[in-house]
Amino acid sequence: MTTAPLMIETKSVIKKVNTSEGELQILQPISFQVKPGESVAIIGASGSGKSTLLGLLAGLDEVSGGHIMLDGEALHDMDEEQRARLRGDKVGFIFQSFMLVQSLTAIENIMLPAEIAGLPEPRKLAQKILEQVGLEHRASHFPNQLSGGEQQRVAIARAFITNPKILFADEPTGNLDSNNSTKVEDLLFDLNKDSNTTLVLVTHDDALAQRCQRQLRMHAGELSEETKPLKVVSGE
Amino acid sequence: MSMVFQLAWRLFKHEAKRGELTIILLAIVLSVASVLSLSLFSERLQGALTDRSAEFIAADRQLRSRTPVDESWVVKASEFGLETAYQVSTRSMVFGDDELALSDLRAVDSAYPLKGAIKVTDRAFGVPEATSDSLEPGEVWLDSRMFQLLQIELGDSVDIGDSSFTVTRVLSEIPDAGFSVFNTDPIALMSAEDLPKTNITGPGSRVSYKYYFTGDSSDLDEYYDWLRPQLDREIHRWTSIEDDDSAIGRSIARAEQYFLLASLLAIVLAAVSIAVAAQRYSQRHFDPVAIMKTLGAGKKMVQRIYLLQICFITILGIILGVITGFLLQQGVVHLLAGTVEVSLDVWHWRPLAIAVFTGVVCAVLFSLYPLLQLFSVPPLRVLRRDINTTLSSKALQFATSGIAVFLLMWIYSQDLLISAILFVSGIILVALLLGVTNVLIMVGRRLGSGSMGAWTLAWARIRRRAMGNSVQLISFAITIMLLLVVLVMRNDMVKQWRDQLPEGTPNYFLSNVTETQRLGLIEHFDKNNVESDGYYPVARGRFVAINDEKIRTEVTKEERDATDDGRQGLGREANLTWSTTLQTGNKILEGEWLDVWEEGDPVPLSIEAEVAERLEIELGDVLTFNIGSEVVSATVTSLREVNWQTMQPNFFFVLHPKAMENFSPTYITSFHLDEERKPEITKLMAPFASVTLFDVDARINQLREIIDQVSMAVEFILILVLLAGALVLIAQVQASMDERLQELAILRTLGAKGWTIRFSVINEFIIIGLVAGLMAAISNEFSLYMLQTKVFQMEASLHLSYWLIAPAVGAVTVGILGAIGCWRLLSLNTGELLRKMV
Repeated sequence: MTTAPLMIETKSVIKKVNTSEGELQILQPISFQVKPGESVAIIGASGSGKSTLLGLLAGLDEVSGGHIMLDGEALHDMDEEQRARLRGDKVGFIFQSFMLVQSLTAIENIMLPAEIAGLPEPRKLAQKILEQVGLEHRASHFPNQLSGGEQQRVAIARAFITNPKILFADEPTGNLDSNNSTKVEDLLFDLNKDSNTTLVLVTHDDALAQRCQRQLRMHAGELSEETKPLKVVSGE
Repeated sequence: MSMVFQLAWRLFKHEAKRGELTIILLAIVLSVASVLSLSLFSERLQGALTDRSAEFIAADRQLRSRTPVDESWVVKASEFGLETAYQVSTRSMVFGDDELALSDLRAVDSAYPLKGAIKVTDRAFGVPEATSDSLEPGEVWLDSRMFQLLQIELGDSVDIGDSSFTVTRVLSEIPDAGFSVFNTDPIALMSAEDLPKTNITGPGSRVSYKYYFTGDSSDLDEYYDWLRPQLDREIHRWTSIEDDDSAIGRSIARAEQYFLLASLLAIVLAAVSIAVAAQRYSQRHFDPVAIMKTLGAGKKMVQRIYLLQICFITILGIILGVITGFLLQQGVVHLLAGTVEVSLDVWHWRPLAIAVFTGVVCAVLFSLYPLLQLFSVPPLRVLRRDINTTLSSKALQFATSGIAVFLLMWIYSQDLLISAILFVSGIILVALLLGVTNVLIMVGRRLGSGSMGAWTLAWARIRRRAMGNSVQLISFAITIMLLLVVLVMRNDMVKQWRDQLPEGTPNYFLSNVTETQRLGLIEHFDKNNVESDGYYPVARGRFVAINDEKIRTEVTKEERDATDDGRQGLGREANLTWSTTLQTGNKILEGEWLDVWEEGDPVPLSIEAEVAERLEIELGDVLTFNIGSEVVSATVTSLREVNWQTMQPNFFFVLHPKAMENFSPTYITSFHLDEERKPEITKLMAPFASVTLFDVDARINQLREIIDQVSMAVEFILILVLLAGALVLIAQVQASMDERLQELAILRTLGAKGWTIRFSVINEFIIIGLVAGLMAAISNEFSLYMLQTKVFQMEASLHLSYWLIAPAVGAVTVGILGAIGCWRLLSLNTGELLRKMV
């Protein structure tokens, strides 16, 4: 019997930062695994260390100790250039504040990762995915000409254009109203399902977390598996 | 590479369209345009002024010689593409029917003058008009005074040496006549072809030769390089207008230095604006860089994208800058048309090369640090917006910018002194400002802790953004200081020029006035409402010894050969005067003025300081003069500084009157006649026919005209630099508005009243402008003192009024600019403000 390689595997990952009062450990040793195609929500209060962990898992930041394997590759051993290449090849991102390049149009923002990865015909790819997110009529608009919901849909399209193996989402609906939140969540999970992408989502929205297969809770820099079902307060 | 190029081009295109690049583009355009227009204009203007001033030596270069030069020298000049002319001058008697007079005889060839024009009139002391006619053989043109002395009319015949000549013109002015009250002989101009017939230039006669050269300055320089080894310092003297130590020469030299200074400051202003704009550009691109890195772009790819963008911006900036600069200087030249004849025909490549070089250097060097910062933005910024850059070394930034500014100034000016003075002033200013910022923070800590009013908010912001504000304060203060330097320098310089020739400057000089005539003249002038400038007694003497050591007294070559030893002398007879009153414009540098003298003591004497230095004369030295058959010895009791730029008689040697009691002097005096009274001059001086009259109005007008032209040119350059400075200030305020955006949005969201926010921002700018203005005024004094004393050779003075004006203008200007920037932001609603922040 062969086991499929894990998408994420962390062993005793810690993160320390220097402060004016000396070194501070903001992540206690964290070990967990995520299988390919799995959707995982990391929940917790503000300041609990969710985004720090996301940054480490996505290779945006360096670990202070421990190991992180991403799709079989040792992230903890890589330098910034190697991590950038890995992100371009395998990772997609969605952020709370959308993080679109303000001086590029919607379609150009979507094309950007494809261009960086050197994929052929990035504009065609972008057009196709723009249709999927229902924004083909907004292709030549700049981010500040789009609503928050539209901007996040552009960001989702950008995240999926390279067919990433894993998608990291940091509070993807944090800046949106409930109506737009629902639309964006649906779009995110639909695309995720269609492309069989692994999803790691950071949120403090329990309802959103509930839509993931697993929930991990961060508390004061420590990670634990949530075993009880989350109490979801219906917005309706 | 093509993807990188496409991405860079796309970013550039969109950002240019959306106005994101306006500030940095404007800064580059400004630097290129101001350097190009200033250099082009000053080069053309200098050309025009040098041409104009070349009239004073009747050519671009002049070779004076005591002997005729080898014919081959003139032939060689033609081979170098130069135009040539020559003049032989000597002193000779001119005989009328019944009278005779000594003349300054000038025999010229038909090419004379190469620059300027001979001016003639229809009657003695009439209105001069330029003529292009040249002298025919057998003709002589005589000075107005000669008509007076010889009692002759036009068309009469006069004898010079062995030949007779017909007087065909009244000579009013020749370009290189020079001016000296002591040069008492009126000019007689004749054709050089006639000179041999007169037989007046035989052995023993004092003849001097002038050879004139005109052509391209490079040809002139090459010719001089060829000629120089053959010149004998004792016989030959090569001169150009730059060597001219007259009022004109000095004015032009100062104006050239001023243009250089203004251009240098324009470069510094441009550099400051580029640094500010590049910093802003870099900060605005932190997010896109973080996003690109997050999406997989490596550091090299990001570097290529942004370096390409900077290339696009630089190229566009240089193209627009060249066009703007060219149009700007063309406009200025057209505005000046009729006042200064600046030729637009010749295209000067040097200013273009300098402007393009400046644009490239400024864009590269001043965007280097912001770009390095940009490249070092970590991808983690997408999650943590407070992370800016991993590269943070203000010292590195200041060091690279400082070195770049200094190198740019030095390369451009090729004048280490001016560059060093401005640079050191800048460093002092920066150090001062850092100190002041710290004090401000301390003060602000107290003031900013009260209830939340507009002033409290302003102080609180200054305190919180201490480093950012200190950088802003420094750039404001440097800009204001540079503008002050250009403005005050211009005011002082133009004032000093104008002071040389105030209204009522004497336009007539009288010499050879005897004691009896002096008393008569005083009464005559009183009766005719003519105010004279005082009568100076003059006696001519030979300066023969210093402390009984014989000195060389030769005035001709033959005499020089006969007296080949001894200390260096004046080389001509000295004009001695005596007075107990120190003449206006004179200043005692060392020793005491000679007002007290007792019988038996050595006779006191005051000597002009530069002559004393040249002849190595010190206080206490005993100087001996032969006056007629008498010997007078006097002890140097003071060294005087003399302002040679005033149009009044000045003397190297002034003695105590008692020492000269036994000599009957002649007097010289000067007076001013208004334009409308000028026709009266012949009638006015008719009772004193033997007194020598000089009309120097033409010379004064020429001087005044040039000074007016240079002043006007300086005004335009001042306006250009002020404009450059104003744009820098706008760029700085614009840049700082980004930083305030977030705070404004928050305050607005929290319901702060519009006027509270508006006034707090305006107050913050007023405080910054006030402090920057004060610091600029202090630093300005230091820069001006160094520039005026070390570079411009002017008298330095304090400019206390600017200690009030600069802070006030700084506060108002920066406050208004802040208000405009703030108004733009506050006209947006809260939603728009918040969106702008994203």
